[in-house]
Amino acid sequence: MQHERLVANLVLLDLDGVECRYGSVKVLENVSLSLKGGDFVGILGPNGSGKTTLLKSISRTLKPHKGTVLLNEADIYSLKSVDVAKQLAVVPQDTSIGFNFAALDIVLMGRNPHMKRFQLENEKDMAVARKVMNLTNIWHLAERPINELSGGEKQRVIIARALAQEPKILLLDEPLTHLDIVNQLEIMDLVKDLCVKEKLIILAVFHDFNLAARYCNASIMLKNGKIFSAGSLTEVLTSENLKSVFNVDAIVTKHLVTNSVFVVPLSPQKSSPPKKCSIHLICGAGTGTALMKILLDEGYNVTAGVLNVLDTDFETAEFLKIPVTTEAPFSPITEKSHSSNLAMISEASTVVLTSVPFGYGNLQNLEAAIAALKRGIPTFVIEEVPIERRDFTGGKAKALLAELKSEGAEFVKDQNELLSLLNVSVDKLKIAKEERDRLLDHLKPEEVHKETKIRNKDEKNEEEKI
Amino acid sequence: MSTDKVETTFFRRTSRWKIILILLIFALFVIVVVSLNVGYAQISFTDILAILGKQVPFLNNYVDSSLVRVASENIVLQIRLPRILAGVLVGAALAAAGVVYQGVFKNPMADSYVLGVSAGAAVGASFSILFSVSSFVFGLRLVQVAAFLGALFSMFLVYNIARVGSRVPVTTLLLCGIAVNFFLFAVVGLLEVVAGDELHAIVFWLVGGFSNVLWRDIWAVMPFIIIGTVIAYFYARDLNLLAMGEETAHHLGVNVERAKLVLLVLASLITGAAVSISGLIGFVGLMIPHVTRLVMGPDHRILFPTSAIIGAIFLVICDDIARVVATPFASTMELPVGIITMLFGAPFFILLFKKKKQSYAA
Repeated sequence: MQHERLVANLVLLDLDGVECRYGSVKVLENVSLSLKGGDFVGILGPNGSGKTTLLKSISRTLKPHKGTVLLNEADIYSLKSVDVAKQLAVVPQDTSIGFNFAALDIVLMGRNPHMKRFQLENEKDMAVARKVMNLTNIWHLAERPINELSGGEKQRVIIARALAQEPKILLLDEPLTHLDIVNQLEIMDLVKDLCVKEKLIILAVFHDFNLAARYCNASIMLKNGKIFSAGSLTEVLTSENLKSVFNVDAIVTKHLVTNSVFVVPLSPQKSSPPKKCSIHLICGAGTGTALMKILLDEGYNVTAGVLNVLDTDFETAEFLKIPVTTEAPFSPITEKSHSSNLAMISEASTVVLTSVPFGYGNLQNLEAAIAALKRGIPTFVIEEVPIERRDFTGGKAKALLAELKSEGAEFVKDQNELLSLLNVSVDKLKIAKEERDRLLDHLKPEEVHKETKIRNKDEKNEEEKI
Repeated sequence: MSTDKVETTFFRRTSRWKIILILLIFALFVIVVVSLNVGYAQISFTDILAILGKQVPFLNNYVDSSLVRVASENIVLQIRLPRILAGVLVGAALAAAGVVYQGVFKNPMADSYVLGVSAGAAVGASFSILFSVSSFVFGLRLVQVAAFLGALFSMFLVYNIARVGSRVPVTTLLLCGIAVNFFLFAVVGLLEVVAGDELHAIVFWLVGGFSNVLWRDIWAVMPFIIIGTVIAYFYARDLNLLAMGEETAHHLGVNVERAKLVLLVLASLITGAAVSISGLIGFVGLMIPHVTRLVMGPDHRILFPTSAIIGAIFLVICDDIARVVATPFASTMELPVGIITMLFGAPFFILLFKKKKQSYAA
């Protein structure tokens, strides 16, 4: 196996039982890795989990107390600095540059390991610098002093300098911090390209799971200095791992476009005390997703149905562990599931009907709502989209909705109105309103700005009085 | 199109470095010859050239020196020339060391005072002046040897106090250096208080000057300064990389701890050697690197040699002024050159800085 790796002429990086300490505090413990050219590994982990320390132990900045780091099977700490720098480049987290060098000078410094002591930069060094500066889109900034560049431009200069070393291993410590979204993608595409074509080993610290998932072919997740999980992105990025390492609830799916693992972290929310009454949602096609989370957070028991398996709302309900009456994928509601839905509704104290589109397949859900009303269960209808635009039954759904209205269902225009009627999430609504005011405040011209400030102040005073 | 322009500009810049160095060396030579003319005794340029030419092998056959008085020859060769060469050596040494200190510490305020080197030399010199002013060691004045050893001793003291394991972070170096610096200057102050009759000699040494430099002194310090400066120049590119931060320099293949140790030892060595013949001369080590950086840019490969030559030129000119300024009042009196460097150097620097501060603001 080792032999094969050597024959393939790929660069090798092996860590065996690496342990690092700052003073007596262990920050890295028993980390072992075995990488070869072409590996793009994302390092994930919360703050203080040892990500940067891991990179430092590889870049010879922090010598491990135990364990070895092998570069092409030679102990990296026994090699000369210059020889390591020919193989390994680092893009550090923060960069401060003492004197005001031009961007080109800084990129050419990446050629240092390839130059003899008294050699000046020659045509070849210049050619390499121009190539990497074109790749990182900064050749036009070549003669500009570094301290006059923006954060993102500086970052690209630093990345270009690392590439000018023509390394076989590239360590990136949060390389995207100062970059806007387009630049992030450009740089990651560039790095990925080098990884694939030139068979570089890329080890990068990521904070964005989805970027990691999109570009890396493997990942390690660190927790308290130990490897918690390692392997392919699908193995590492699971909601269980995210919960136990980051303490965050997250929905993990496959992204429709990129087909890579896609993580949607949910904000950590203290759940309100249980309200001991339950709300049944009649939804589908994603119209109930947001509501499920909010209602759960408010402490309600939430049920839903009838939902087709694989429907977005179904997947959300699964994730949030909400009881659901289900129907087979893409199938019309059968009598059996309809009646079990009715049984579920009779347990609920309120029914909410979202702005779900209706076809012949789910028309029975409307009838279920009417049945609920007839049993005296209050029913709310959210009408965000007019029924005409989501009725695919030639007016049958519209007629049933009219019947709902005449039976006494409460029609609301959106989710917020519903929540205020349910008298829930008063605090949350207030936060939302303040947020909106603050934003508007920001946009308003000066005079109006003052007025709103005064008004806000009055409101606050009133609140204080209360 | 524009890409070619950037490249040609770059290569033209590096090839221009050689021309700049040759021009500066020529300028230094001219200043040295002109300075031989400066002083109380009036000696004409033709006489000076004849006296110099007589010293050069082969050339001396063509020089008719019969008209030059012996007294003039003695003044030029035995008094003025060693003094001017001392100015060249000390100016170059202090400026070169200043470049190294500022580069290693990544700090524009760094100079030979931060590692306590100057303070160490001052303590050594003050002690020797106080106890036996006219003693000789190895054929050199005790003051010189004591100042040199004091400089090296304090540098090693600071370096070892600042050491954290196998690393010597620049922040701890700076702090330890400042602490030791204050302590040593307190010792100097104490010595001044108890000095009595020797106070004048101590104060004169602390301000610095070349009034009694002999050829013997030049030969004693020249090897240290020339060899030290040349070796330090080997590390010019490492200084560029150190400006990127120690960690980055390390990633780019610099053996950071070794480079730092070598550079600081060399800078302290040449500073110690320089101040041992001149006493403390302020401003040169701090400001000449800045002035040069304003003109030449931050690349140490050109900054280092040009700073050294400009430092030499600057100090020789300052010494000329020191000799001339007081002459109208009393033929034997002269000002210490350390006062001239600060008095004339600081306003010049401020003028230059006002013009260029835009590009310097970092």
